[in-house]
Amino acid sequence: MMTWAWAVRDLLRHPTRSALSLLGVAVAAALLLDMVMLSGGIERSFGELLRSRGYQLRISPLGTLPFDTEATLGEVTVLTAALRRDAAVVEVAPVLGTTMQGLHGAATASLVTYGITPTSQGIYSLESGDDLVAMDSLGILLGAPAAARLGAVVGDTIVMRGRLDPQVANAGAERRLVVRGMVRFLYDARDQPSVAVPLAVAQRLAGSEFTDRASVLMVRAADAGELTLVTARLRTAHPDVAVNSIDDLVAQFRLRLTYFRQLSLILGSISLVVTVLLVGTLLAITVNERSGEIATLRAIGVAREHVAAQVLVQGLLLTILGGAGGLVLGLGTARWLDAILTSFPGLPAAISFFVAEPAPLAIAAATLLVTGVLAGLPSAWRAASTPIATALRSDAP
Amino acid sequence: MTVVLDARDLERRHALEGGEVTALRGVSLQVNAGEYVAIVGPSGSGKSTLLTLLGGLDLPSRGSVAILGTSLGTLPDRALTRLRLERIGFVFQRFHLLPVLTARENVELPMAEMGVVPAVRRARADELLAYVGLAERAGHRPTQLSGGEMQRVAIARALANRPAILLADEPTGELDAATGREILALFRRLHADGTTLVVVTHDERVTSEASRVVRMLDGRIVD
Repeated sequence: MMTWAWAVRDLLRHPTRSALSLLGVAVAAALLLDMVMLSGGIERSFGELLRSRGYQLRISPLGTLPFDTEATLGEVTVLTAALRRDAAVVEVAPVLGTTMQGLHGAATASLVTYGITPTSQGIYSLESGDDLVAMDSLGILLGAPAAARLGAVVGDTIVMRGRLDPQVANAGAERRLVVRGMVRFLYDARDQPSVAVPLAVAQRLAGSEFTDRASVLMVRAADAGELTLVTARLRTAHPDVAVNSIDDLVAQFRLRLTYFRQLSLILGSISLVVTVLLVGTLLAITVNERSGEIATLRAIGVAREHVAAQVLVQGLLLTILGGAGGLVLGLGTARWLDAILTSFPGLPAAISFFVAEPAPLAIAAATLLVTGVLAGLPSAWRAASTPIATALRSDAP
Repeated sequence: MTVVLDARDLERRHALEGGEVTALRGVSLQVNAGEYVAIVGPSGSGKSTLLTLLGGLDLPSRGSVAILGTSLGTLPDRALTRLRLERIGFVFQRFHLLPVLTARENVELPMAEMGVVPAVRRARADELLAYVGLAERAGHRPTQLSGGEMQRVAIARALANRPAILLADEPTGELDAATGREILALFRRLHADGTTLVVVTHDERVTSEASRVVRMLDGRIVD
């Protein structure tokens, strides 16, 4: 049997109808693709982002997640030294996050200010200029949004002003800092105006209550394979702080995004139902119209299973072509939706909601194909059961 | 003489809303190899119903049909379908060609179902199309052919698997007189070449060419 070529020609018999059906299947397939990419993609993207600088553990105030609240860790110097005494710990990078005012010429901006240790930091990557170095207490690094708001470039001097003291309604401490370089902050939300200064400078500008404090400690362990053991050991040794591995953080993130997975499951299921309805309807119409041809095939000796296969192949072809269109459409809409979703406040701009992973995509494609075949089963069965003599009498091709 | 077709005491009743209608009443017919049998009769006499039973397209309410000694009534659907494929060629009044296939592909279809390799079936299809005078039209679709050409393609398709018997239902019914004569000439040639033919027709010209004429009236053979 010339099954596939035949199926293609059958689709071309009614080009408008076939095109509309293909478009429908493509839209359903695009929805399925996007939902599959959404369901697991954000977790993977989040995990990859957290691991990107090689720090596998995060230590934050007890009962909180990093930068989830304004709570800070105390006696950071002692805590850092204690952590470094653990044989498995290679590096500890404290980060203090707070809000300060930046002034450059006539420009003023409220800036998210990170206090970091220049020799060990895991929150930015240098884009231009120089990085901060140890003992540099006069340098500052700007992210692109902060530089744009202040109109500052490398070499300019920025005045950083600490928090207002609400008790005395007085401005906080001020410090003139020289822009050493431009950086990209890894965990920032889109257009978030951030700067990085040495930890000690940030603590001083933030006020006395921030002395020797940090929002989070990023910890790098020597052996990634022993992280569970290291995490457990640090938890035991430091019960007054929260010790989380990246897996723990991803799990927390997953819990918060449960509704996303539910949404993607529901919409993915709807897309499959739509595919079944579209393919099933088109094939039902086709089999009705072709009852005379089908009876002819049966009359001249074409087996029931081959007649059924012909119908199923047509359904499969619709699904494959629609699925291919859906792939293009789905990737396009995913990029568009990603741009919208990642602009939500508080979410790292570097995160992707839609991540194309081979295994889930293969499962989605297989599910779509199986759906196409299942949608064709009733029509295939009906075609195979066509009463030959009656159909020949009542129908003519 | 080999008996190709042996139908005995055929009865076919149809259940309709107003009651039961009997289309055939105890029809028996034997066709020997190489015979050209014309079945004639007025509309409603049961001749087309008889042809569907003889070809295994429908089953009788009573009686039996055997093709080369194989009783059709006892065969499961798969075997009956295979028998139609291998032993019986059909020509229909309305041609019933597959519109999306070319003339050659329509002729190849029964051979493809038989599992004949593409090169062989293509050569056979071309040979058959040349036999019916359509060698030049092999690549045309049915919509690009005239009624007579479509019927000739249908005849070529019926001959594809070298059937033991060719059953034709009103093969000239949709054709003008001149084209009908061409089809009858083709049947005459088939008969001369040894093909066993059973033709249901209103066309009196067939009766003059057939080796035997069977007349039907009210579901019975009357002559």
